[in-house]
Amino acid sequence: MLKAINITKKFGALAAVDDLSFEVEEGQVFGIAGPNGAGKSTLYNLITGFYKYEGKIEFDGQNITGLPTHKIARLGISRTFQIPQIFESLTVEESVNLGGRFGSSGKYDSGYCDEMISFASLEQERSDKTDLLNLLGKKRLMIAAAMATKPKILMVDEPMAGLNALEIKQMTNLIKKINQDLNITVIIIEHFMKVLTELANPILVIENGSEICTGTPEEITSNPEVIACYLGDTHDA
Amino acid sequence: MNAKSMVTILAVTYGFLGILPLFLGDSSIYMRILTMILIWSVVASCWDLIMGYAGIFSFGQVAFYVIGAYSSAILSVSLNVTPIVSIFMAGTITAIIGVIIGLPCLKLAGPYIALVTFAFQLALEPFLKGPLGKAIGSGGSRGIISVPPIHIFGMDFSSSELVPYFYLTLVLTLICSAVIVVILKSHWGTAFLALKDSEDFAASLGVSAFKYKLLVFAVTSFITGLFGALYVHYVGILSTRMLSMEVFTVLLIMIVVGGIGQYPGVVLGAVVTVTMNELLRPMGIYRLLIMGGMVVVIVLLLPDGVTGLIRKFSVFRMTKKRTEQLKHRNETHESSP
Repeated sequence: MLKAINITKKFGALAAVDDLSFEVEEGQVFGIAGPNGAGKSTLYNLITGFYKYEGKIEFDGQNITGLPTHKIARLGISRTFQIPQIFESLTVEESVNLGGRFGSSGKYDSGYCDEMISFASLEQERSDKTDLLNLLGKKRLMIAAAMATKPKILMVDEPMAGLNALEIKQMTNLIKKINQDLNITVIIIEHFMKVLTELANPILVIENGSEICTGTPEEITSNPEVIACYLGDTHDA
Repeated sequence: MNAKSMVTILAVTYGFLGILPLFLGDSSIYMRILTMILIWSVVASCWDLIMGYAGIFSFGQVAFYVIGAYSSAILSVSLNVTPIVSIFMAGTITAIIGVIIGLPCLKLAGPYIALVTFAFQLALEPFLKGPLGKAIGSGGSRGIISVPPIHIFGMDFSSSELVPYFYLTLVLTLICSAVIVVILKSHWGTAFLALKDSEDFAASLGVSAFKYKLLVFAVTSFITGLFGALYVHYVGILSTRMLSMEVFTVLLIMIVVGGIGQYPGVVLGAVVTVTMNELLRPMGIYRLLIMGGMVVVIVLLLPDGVTGLIRKFSVFRMTKKRTEQLKHRNETHESSP
């Protein structure tokens, strides 16, 4: 469904993503892990057209290399951000409708946007300004707005960061529902290995922009190179 | 602010201004003040639309106003185009120039856009005064004199016919204000706000920054140019003095007084600022000092301008309602098994 072929992104002399290739298949929850600065978020920015790069990315057999972000969104790749991005001037409902109106390739469907508000458990806050939401609410909102674009792939960037145990459970369930109930392919970047191994299969581990290994959660957590560079000897996955 | 509140404030403000000529029609001073309130309220509204809503720190608003004025003056004086046609042609020319100026701004962030657009304003004066300006009919340092009045339905609309000109300006003001409200409340307005708050998130949801930023440059430049053109056929003469820092500053004060991004607060800001500016004229050099002091006080006490006051009351009511809702929800949760 999504195929990255030898993609490289350099910032000056630094290669943030270095000759990386991988493939995401339809229906998967594809995990991406790696230490801070490994190039995970840069990889998201390449897929979603924020940066130019060398190499090629194909989505549903179509070459999306060089397309602007808004066109990639309309093709069916939607994303959230590591640091919550919200529209402070808009309400929850307006923010979700924005995704439905601009990001969906079909006709604007207000009913579907309403469904996504309920799906993300934001019914009570629908008329609130978005800056009134707590961290979990902001993350839910990013997901609801992204889902309103009717994506084929949803890319979430560290959705558990900053959440407490109960909130992590709620967010984990939401991502499972997106994948299982709505049949949407999910790509997830996450540091919290317990959650990542519960949700994702396969998992790609990268360091310094290059692939260390790709495999099942069991393969990843037992890989000596991954343990050495990322998990450490005392990981609890 | 919802569309109903916007329309109400605009209707009350312009309705009030609209009946004043019935009482002040004989006074040329008051009629000039009323006319300038209308003109500046629209020009400042356009600036608020691009800066306060789209988040583009364009400082080229006065330049667009002057381009509109010169375009219409040159078209009507040098090419004998009838003024009612030339003002719309001037708006179109200004919109095209606005888009050309907007293109490099797409690659720039806040303060750099301000620098580029302000540099454009600074460059406009030597251009109009120099040989290139003279070649296109700007009149150089002397400017353009004897700009013909607008003539429709057998009537002249100029500074010698103050009441008819006021009502012509009022009609165009109402049309342009309606256009601004429709834009702000349509998905265009939502896209502008989204791009201002988070361009990356907006783009990832399918909003084209390229399209909507150029669109706001085009719309605001067109309306500003149109009103610049309207003004020049009112005063009948034109020079580069219109590009002075005073015009720029007073226009900026209108937005601050009304509240940046608080439309139609800027219309109220125009009423207050133009009136004060005229009333303070006898103060001479202290006029701008007092105006500056007024801005400092407003920024400190009312950062959202006069609209902030209205909003404070509505937020207070909303907060009270929301607190009651939350209280009711908590009680329901507690009583449920």
